[in-house]
Amino acid sequence: MSVILKTEKLRVEYASRESRSGTKVALNGLDLEVRAGEVFGYLGPNGAGKTTTMNVLLGFVHATGGEARLFGVDVREPIARQRIGYLPELTYYYKFLTAEELLRFYARIFGIPRGEADRRIDSLLKLVELEHARSRPIKTYSKGMQQRVGLAQALINNPDLLILDEPTSGLDPLGRMKVREIIQRLKSEGKTVFFSSHELGEAESVCDRVAIICQGELKAVGKVSDLVAQYQCDLEKLFLKLIGYQPQGVS
Amino acid sequence: MNNVLAISGIVIKELYRRKDFYVLFVLTALITLLLGSVSFFNDAKIARYLKEVCLLLIWISSLVIAISTTARQIPAERENRTIFPLLAKPVTRGQFIMGKFLGCWLACGVALVVFYLFFGVVSESRGRGDSSAAGLSATAAATDASSKTDEHDHAAAGSEHHNEHETPETTGQRSVVLNYVQALWLHWMMLGVVTAMVLLGSVVLSAPSVSITISFIGIIGILLLGEHLNKVALRQPQPLQAIIYTGYFLIPHLEWFDIRDRVIYDQPAIAFGDCGLATLYAIVYTGLFLFLTWFVFRRKTLTL
Amino acid sequence: MRRASPYLVLGLLLTICFAVATTIQPRTRAWSDRAKSGDVLKMLLGDGRRMFANHFFEQADVSFHSGYYPSIFDRREQPGKTAMASGKDEHDEHDEAAHEKEMAFRGQPRDWIEAFGRHFRVTEHTHLAHGQEREILPWLRISAELDPQRVDTYTVAAYWLREKLGKIKEAEEFLREGQRNNPDSCEILFELGRLYRDGRHDPQRARNVWELALRKWNAQESGKAEPNYFQLEKIAVHLARLEEEAGRFSRAISLLELGKKSSPNPDALQKQVDEIKEKMRARESAPQAPAY
Repeated sequence: MSVILKTEKLRVEYASRESRSGTKVALNGLDLEVRAGEVFGYLGPNGAGKTTTMNVLLGFVHATGGEARLFGVDVREPIARQRIGYLPELTYYYKFLTAEELLRFYARIFGIPRGEADRRIDSLLKLVELEHARSRPIKTYSKGMQQRVGLAQALINNPDLLILDEPTSGLDPLGRMKVREIIQRLKSEGKTVFFSSHELGEAESVCDRVAIICQGELKAVGKVSDLVAQYQCDLEKLFLKLIGYQPQGVS
Repeated sequence: MNNVLAISGIVIKELYRRKDFYVLFVLTALITLLLGSVSFFNDAKIARYLKEVCLLLIWISSLVIAISTTARQIPAERENRTIFPLLAKPVTRGQFIMGKFLGCWLACGVALVVFYLFFGVVSESRGRGDSSAAGLSATAAATDASSKTDEHDHAAAGSEHHNEHETPETTGQRSVVLNYVQALWLHWMMLGVVTAMVLLGSVVLSAPSVSITISFIGIIGILLLGEHLNKVALRQPQPLQAIIYTGYFLIPHLEWFDIRDRVIYDQPAIAFGDCGLATLYAIVYTGLFLFLTWFVFRRKTLTL
Repeated sequence: MRRASPYLVLGLLLTICFAVATTIQPRTRAWSDRAKSGDVLKMLLGDGRRMFANHFFEQADVSFHSGYYPSIFDRREQPGKTAMASGKDEHDEHDEAAHEKEMAFRGQPRDWIEAFGRHFRVTEHTHLAHGQEREILPWLRISAELDPQRVDTYTVAAYWLREKLGKIKEAEEFLREGQRNNPDSCEILFELGRLYRDGRHDPQRARNVWELALRKWNAQESGKAEPNYFQLEKIAVHLARLEEEAGRFSRAISLLELGKKSSPNPDALQKQVDEIKEKMRARESAPQAPAY
């Protein structure tokens, strides 16, 4: 299987007043590989560097060192983002637009012809069950509906790689189930999914491989079953062990 | 270019879905019509005060629209985080800047057309005879000026030559229309520079309120004092004189684009060559500010 | 009770506000003139309205020059009378030359920015004519609304209304309004006299008004260290002309003598006195009609 997402010795430093050296290392020599067709879970506690990794992959932040490539193209090149879909953790969309207008806008950005865009918008709105609300401004949507619009926009270009930033956070159990179903469906269509999450159970159920990151460093990477076998504990205990959590005794 | 147009389309949609423009237009129309309904010494032919007030309101409204719309574009994108899904698509930061600029500028252009149509209706409804009469001399002078400066541009100058079958009244009206069109065009060009300046300000100063206030002060300052800075400089001791003079040559002279007096007082239309040079000047400054905006924004870290 | 308590607090606060307001209100009248004023503009702007009035008066002059007007940066010294205002007075070629000189404020451009910028400005010094003078009137009206004590506004507007636009009725109404606001103004009375003489062709009313103006001048100016003799001369000379036309030669002569004291051109007035004296002699030497 070909590698479609690759980072090599990726290093990101931020200016920080708190640090004595004046900089804070967010990512420290991160090596990561995501292969075509797999669902890859990117796990880590808050502040571990998950979002920074995504920021680098999407071109929001420029790496201090190392390199990151999508489909073999440096992430700083806009063309690297032609074949990806991105779903942010929260719904960051133009609230004055309707779902249909938003999808049409993104379709135009990808240079999708009008007829094809119409067809895709119809099928995506059907997929995320928002057909009935297609002409309503997004500001009138519930949180779950907004998250589903987000998913639709991430899929508008029929991407080969989907980057999902905590896609189920803040959703009710039904919403989570639907997102999981969509991820499974995308996997069955041969798409690659790279998603970050706190939900270890979710990762266990949908991921082919996971990576655990802590303090900007990669702690473990591999199939869930292999990791569990290697460390001889369940994923939760493994996660806590790798991030250095020491349970305190209850007196 | 497709991405630029798509982003600008969103900006225009935002503007016409917000109420700012409608409020300002209704306010302008209301004040103008209210003043138009006042009878001064039972003389219905008095028109220039109405033109003056209407154009002043149009200028204020256009600056408010241009500055407030532009200044909040990038900060709002960052604050609402709509910039992240957008830049996660194959959109460069340069295209993003250009799209924002084009959207704001085109939106201002649409607003200006509506405002100037209203102005045309108001001024035509008052003192029509006077304008036409004054327009006669205006056309003659414009033709003269055009032929002087645009000797090579026969097409442009030729369009101004009187036709044997044309009545003086039609020629006068045409000159008035030409004056309005020039005023609208130059106003729009100036808003291009203003939009680019404010966009730069909004990247440097990320708080929209600060950016709006500073932009307003800077732009009003240039409009009121820009042309007089050289006179002020001459009265100052060195090195203040050199500093002010440098500022005078560096700032964009937005006051050139304000030809309200020429419209109000039925002055001859500006020669096409001068109009073209002013347009070129506006394009150069707009390009410069857009380049600076891109330069500042291109390496800016955007964090979720 | 818990539900009602916010409403009770609100009611209590409103009652306190009302009580405080009724207590303070009579005192505020003593604090400033502004509070006492029944005029909305005065109440809103205070004495700042005079500044606006001045701006609008100048705007009328800008309009009179079709936008060709010096900015504060172009004026080397404080400008004298506006062209619009001086237009209503008799003036000679010397005045016009001085005005032309004053308005030649642009000079040679100092640099290419200034030179190019002039293409977009009004660069020709002209005055409104052929009835277009009406365009200055709204600004004068607004100026008068803002500062009713500014006498110039009434006299200038009345002059253009009467002299160029033939609107005698409107000019008289405006002057009367000015007189109500400035009951002691000799200038307004003088302008009113001109309106009666030239517009209404009613020399008797003009005479009454000018006599009143003369009395007011004496009452106000004569005791001053530097009386306004220019005003006195205007009234005296115009009144003298009326008296001469009415055949009251000795009164005309005494008025001209009064005018001579303050005139920059006393010889011209002396010439007029001599002419009237000649007329007097001719009348005295003329044969009396036989009484039947």
